[in-house]
Amino acid sequence: MKILKIIPEKCTGCMRCELACSYEQTGTFQPSKAVIRVSAFEGHTSYAPYTCPQCDEAWCLTACPVEAIGISPAGAKDVADDICVGCKLCTIACPYGTMFYDIDTHKAFKCDLCGGNPACASVCPTDAIVFEEADKTDWVGPFAAERAKSPAGPLAGVL
Amino acid sequence: MTDYAYAGEILRVDLSSGKTWGEKFEAADRRKWVGGAGLGAKILWEEVPPDVGWDHPENRLVLATGPLAGLPVWGTGGLTVVTRGAMTNGATNTQANGFFGANIKYCGYDAIVFQGESPDWVYLHIRDDGVELRDASGLLGQDTWETQQSLEKTLNLSGHNLSVYSIGPAGENLVRFAAIQGDYGHVASKNGCGTVMGKKKVKAVAIERGTKGVAAAHPKALFAAADDIAHSLQTDPSTKGLYLYGTLGGVRNLQGMGALPIRNYTTNVWPEEVETKQWEANGLREGFDHRGHQCSACGMHHCHMQVISSGPYKGQVVDEPEYEGWSGAGWTIGATDPQQVTWMNTQLDRACVDVNEFGWLCGWVMECQQKGYITDQDLGFRLEWGDIDGANRLLEMICKREGMGDLLAEGTKLAAEKLGGEAQDCAIYTEVGNSPRGHDHRSRWEEMIDTCTGSGGTMDTAPPVFPTDYDLPARVHPQDAEAVPKHVGGLRGRRAYEDSLGACVFTTRAPMDVLCRSIQAATGWDVDKDEAMQTGRRINALMRAFNLRCGIGPEVEKPSKRYGSTPVDGPIAGVSIMEQWEKMLDIWYETAGYDRETGRPKPELLRELDLEDVAEALWGANV
Repeated sequence: MKILKIIPEKCTGCMRCELACSYEQTGTFQPSKAVIRVSAFEGHTSYAPYTCPQCDEAWCLTACPVEAIGISPAGAKDVADDICVGCKLCTIACPYGTMFYDIDTHKAFKCDLCGGNPACASVCPTDAIVFEEADKTDWVGPFAAERAKSPAGPLAGVL
Repeated sequence: MTDYAYAGEILRVDLSSGKTWGEKFEAADRRKWVGGAGLGAKILWEEVPPDVGWDHPENRLVLATGPLAGLPVWGTGGLTVVTRGAMTNGATNTQANGFFGANIKYCGYDAIVFQGESPDWVYLHIRDDGVELRDASGLLGQDTWETQQSLEKTLNLSGHNLSVYSIGPAGENLVRFAAIQGDYGHVASKNGCGTVMGKKKVKAVAIERGTKGVAAAHPKALFAAADDIAHSLQTDPSTKGLYLYGTLGGVRNLQGMGALPIRNYTTNVWPEEVETKQWEANGLREGFDHRGHQCSACGMHHCHMQVISSGPYKGQVVDEPEYEGWSGAGWTIGATDPQQVTWMNTQLDRACVDVNEFGWLCGWVMECQQKGYITDQDLGFRLEWGDIDGANRLLEMICKREGMGDLLAEGTKLAAEKLGGEAQDCAIYTEVGNSPRGHDHRSRWEEMIDTCTGSGGTMDTAPPVFPTDYDLPARVHPQDAEAVPKHVGGLRGRRAYEDSLGACVFTTRAPMDVLCRSIQAATGWDVDKDEAMQTGRRINALMRAFNLRCGIGPEVEKPSKRYGSTPVDGPIAGVSIMEQWEKMLDIWYETAGYDRETGRPKPELLRELDLEDVAEALWGANV
């Protein structure tokens, strides 16, 4: 199974992933509709892209009262637009803030791994986002544990 | 007509009345003027008559982006500032990057045009269609980084969700070479554009990352063209160094050819004690904790943030200097410790002055002190070569216009003219009034002639990029009095076109056919390299026509005595540009298609450039 992996220390905050993502989602370059977002920290010396980690235990899926969220062939938790009623419960349930609500379509939307070829990974100029084979699909747990080991915070070992 | 690649609206701001409105960026004008420099030139020509000087309320301050901004071509957050500038009192064409161009397009605008003068200090806040002039009294006195931090706090936004371009104390106090700085380290620096912003009492422009989209005519082809541009940047020998290290390689490269300005052009030889390795590109980068801080959609390893690792400013986060910073805040003023130079460079960005002009000014004061032309009493203290704390003190005096700082705030040319005599003889400036960039142009003749004949408050043609695209030789000897002006005149136009795209000139440094493919994919136009060149030449010609209308003609197209002097040592000791100057101008004029005597673009050229009205204005109806 391939997973989308983010390596924040390689990110330079150029936001190209947001552009490519929004293009895949909407057909135009519109970062407000991107489902990957980049945040800056520590006076622009550190950036972190974040998107849906496709949790094994997906609370969005559990919370949805109309069963609009399923699992796609690419392994993504995916919103079925024709079922979603726009109640936003999933956006509240998601612990990562990666479930979004579209004010134009009145539907929830999220990362669908672009059907198996994520645009963010293919356009990232620094390989801070990669789509690669992994034994375990939930990579956030070990990642968080690894990061927590560093007492000096996320910049340690980077700068 | 679709709005491919364009937001389609220009935001007009009348500061006198406080009124703001959107104006259509007419489709017919887009292909002719593109955006950025072209759009700005058109507005200057049409709306700023000769009696409206840089400090007149009716002067226009155009902050424009272009069709590639907000799209996935590398380095496309571009901002071009066009105005009648404070240094030459003529046209200005100066760029910065960051996220301005992307954020404003997502708000639905291709450009902002300020007119009038605000009665009180304001900042312009843009959030999609919500445009508001807000009270900026609380921001006064803050430097540009503090201003951005304050606005992030006020608006509760962080990172690239807010793009802020502002002036620091230098702009508030109308220092004549004040710049506009944005997004922590990107500076539109030339010709006192920040002075104009200060005169209009605009402290900052704060643009939220808008929610609107920008469409491309052929998105897949756009990605493909962007990849090809990126591939060229990464692999072509002429750009690979830029890709890996930005402009850091310039220090050693230019030093080797005698083009690094050392101690106000008094020498071209490095002091023996200099550790040359730390001045290599990788030495300057790896000598600091550093992290990429890229512009919109950019994959160049160019803009970085760095942390000062030793000395009194240890631990401070600064913007990694461009070559120009290592030169203007360093070698030009005799400072040779990178830790100190990088601190000074960010001090200049924060105060918001042009780093080149500060270098020439500070280096000049240092030399004048050494030679007794400016006494300790005149200045109020002793300023020796390489004294960074002293240079910072000088910067503060200039920004506050304290003591002799009041005179120095007028820039090198006016200050030197005021002092006259031997002091004036050692000042570096052009008679037009614009600042040379941070090299020793006595070894780079292309740029001296380009800077002196430039109509946008700096050089027009800029260093050659793939000259073979236009059947010119790939390289010419930098002191070849015939080949150099042919190159500069022959390539005139490409840069003005690039400056109109909303992109960074380091990322448009690809073969013109490849670059044109990205513009075709973005806009749907069948533009080719000849149209691009033609458009650029149109922009250059219009800016020149504007300057001529303002009374700036060929009589001032020359370097100051020191700027055009003969190097006394180093690789080109004894080689004199001034012996060749008139001949070079003759060739440049002929190549550019301009009239040698009057400086005017010739009527046949203007007609060829679809500038019939300009031909009539310059030459009369019957020519």
